[in-house]
Amino acid sequence: MKAARVFQLTALALLVVSVVQVGWWLLDQRAYTVEKVRLAREAYAQQTAAAQALLDSGASSARVQQLLPGIVVSSGRATLAPELERSLTTEEHRRYNQYAWEGSFFLLALAACIAVIARALREEARVHEEQDSFLALVAHQFKTPLASLQLSLETLALRAPAPQAARTLIDRMLADLARMELMVTQILESARLERGRVEFKSEPLQLAGAVARVLAQLEDRARQEHIAISSDIDPRLHVLSDPLALDVVVRNVLENALTAVQGAGGGTIALSARARDGEVELSVRDSGVGFAPTDGARLFEKFTRLPGAGGRYGTGLGLFIVRRLMELAQGRVSAHSDGVGRGASLRLTWQAAAVAAVAPQPAIAPEPRP
Amino acid sequence: VSTAAPARVLVVEDDPHLAAGVTENLRAEGYEVSTAADGEQALAWLAAHSCALVVLDVMLPGVDGFAVCRTLRGRGDSTPVLFLTARGDPADRVHGLEAGGDDYLAKPFHLQEFLLRVRAILRRWDWYRSASATAATAVLSFGGNEVDFRAFRARTWSGETQELTEKEAMILKVLAEHSGEIVSREDLLERVWGYDVFPSTRTVDNFILRLRKRFERDPANPRHFLTVWGVGYRFLREGEP
Repeated sequence: MKAARVFQLTALALLVVSVVQVGWWLLDQRAYTVEKVRLAREAYAQQTAAAQALLDSGASSARVQQLLPGIVVSSGRATLAPELERSLTTEEHRRYNQYAWEGSFFLLALAACIAVIARALREEARVHEEQDSFLALVAHQFKTPLASLQLSLETLALRAPAPQAARTLIDRMLADLARMELMVTQILESARLERGRVEFKSEPLQLAGAVARVLAQLEDRARQEHIAISSDIDPRLHVLSDPLALDVVVRNVLENALTAVQGAGGGTIALSARARDGEVELSVRDSGVGFAPTDGARLFEKFTRLPGAGGRYGTGLGLFIVRRLMELAQGRVSAHSDGVGRGASLRLTWQAAAVAAVAPQPAIAPEPRP
Repeated sequence: VSTAAPARVLVVEDDPHLAAGVTENLRAEGYEVSTAADGEQALAWLAAHSCALVVLDVMLPGVDGFAVCRTLRGRGDSTPVLFLTARGDPADRVHGLEAGGDDYLAKPFHLQEFLLRVRAILRRWDWYRSASATAATAVLSFGGNEVDFRAFRARTWSGETQELTEKEAMILKVLAEHSGEIVSREDLLERVWGYDVFPSTRTVDNFILRLRKRFERDPANPRHFLTVWGVGYRFLREGEP
């Protein structure tokens, strides 16, 4: 990496030197031509003066023209032959034209090379910067659960709490560990997505089935947090996506909604889907903490935490991964909220798969939720 | 805690586990604790209540901890602030202290150290308040300057009114308490900042320069804030003859 950079910088320096060289060459050639033309004109002027002197001393016109072929004599006056003057001017213009064309061509070619290398250098610097800030953010994200873990452990060691309080501390520590594990998974997932190193199959999948599978995993958590989830999805709706990606998208979106509702002390999540214009749209509405209406797009950026939003236990990567996976599925995702404390809705849109082409899938029927 | 009523601490932390852990430990030490989950909540709480200390996370969603501290100082609120942050590099530390913080602790931190720092900050403020409690100790007059320690305000020899930062007032207090004696830079650091907050004693020098600029008629030839080379400073109320 370093050797390549040295090479690029050296090439850049050489190109800049070449630009200076070409510029200098152009100026030098121009000065040379000016000087040549001046000397030629001077020589012609001397010839004309000499011819005039011969004429004045009584030499015949024929004799003068024989001695000085570039001179024309008419009514006793010696002048330079017009074709000589013309050819001199023509030659002068031809040379200037040549310098202009050749010079511009070389300068343009050099400028193009400089632009290409500068662009590569800038791009490299940007990638470096992004990697650095990603690392800084990742490190920062880990420090909070680590601090919480350390605090719980040191509290246990310092205070020897009663069994009930100790249990609370242990649960807290387990949750912190789970959070760190989730972060590792999501960081790896997002890193792979960023580098485009994912095999993305696109096949018809039953949306209701994917939602039911994820709901079955989150059921306990929802019950504990007093969150009622309702799902109304036509089992005939099928989308084009990668099976793993579909599960990750639905899981991340639902976990996000759960956290948002948990932040509001409980509430509801409603899932519904419909087909429209060759697309299938899944809507996830929650009665959670919501966010400022202008923050809708920022939710899908890496490590976004919004004030009052449900990002408290999150890694800031869940919805970023959702966006990237939806892009790979050639779908869309958007979020909307009327404001902090007023719930939110997420809308996911996939390309619809023709139902007839779909092989029957074992779907877990969504159970009624509390 | 030295006061009769338990000191109240506001914990501003958006991570529920960390907030709970800090709160429980402070309560176990006998403090009264209130919590806020973001900067706006903290500012609203502080506008309506008072407390002895704010434990303030830096990376809060929305208004960050530095901004909260600056707003607080802008309001003329001198409540001490202990920053908690995941970014522990020296530049960030200085940034926090410039925003008006009293101390700075990087996450993850040791519980004992955290409690020690909380106690140290409260002790410093207890000392400052009790040392400025009477009419005689609340005001310091020297060389035509008059400093009001309780209002953090001063009227200078030129008739100008100046707002003092907490640190400036504390340094002045330490020096005034030992008027005529030599006070070492290390003593000043210890009394005003605590132990290892700043990397060097140069900080003290900068503060003394600021005090000279505020109160000396000719800051280049000080008569009240004298340097004792290699040791520290001597404050003379009457001024050097």
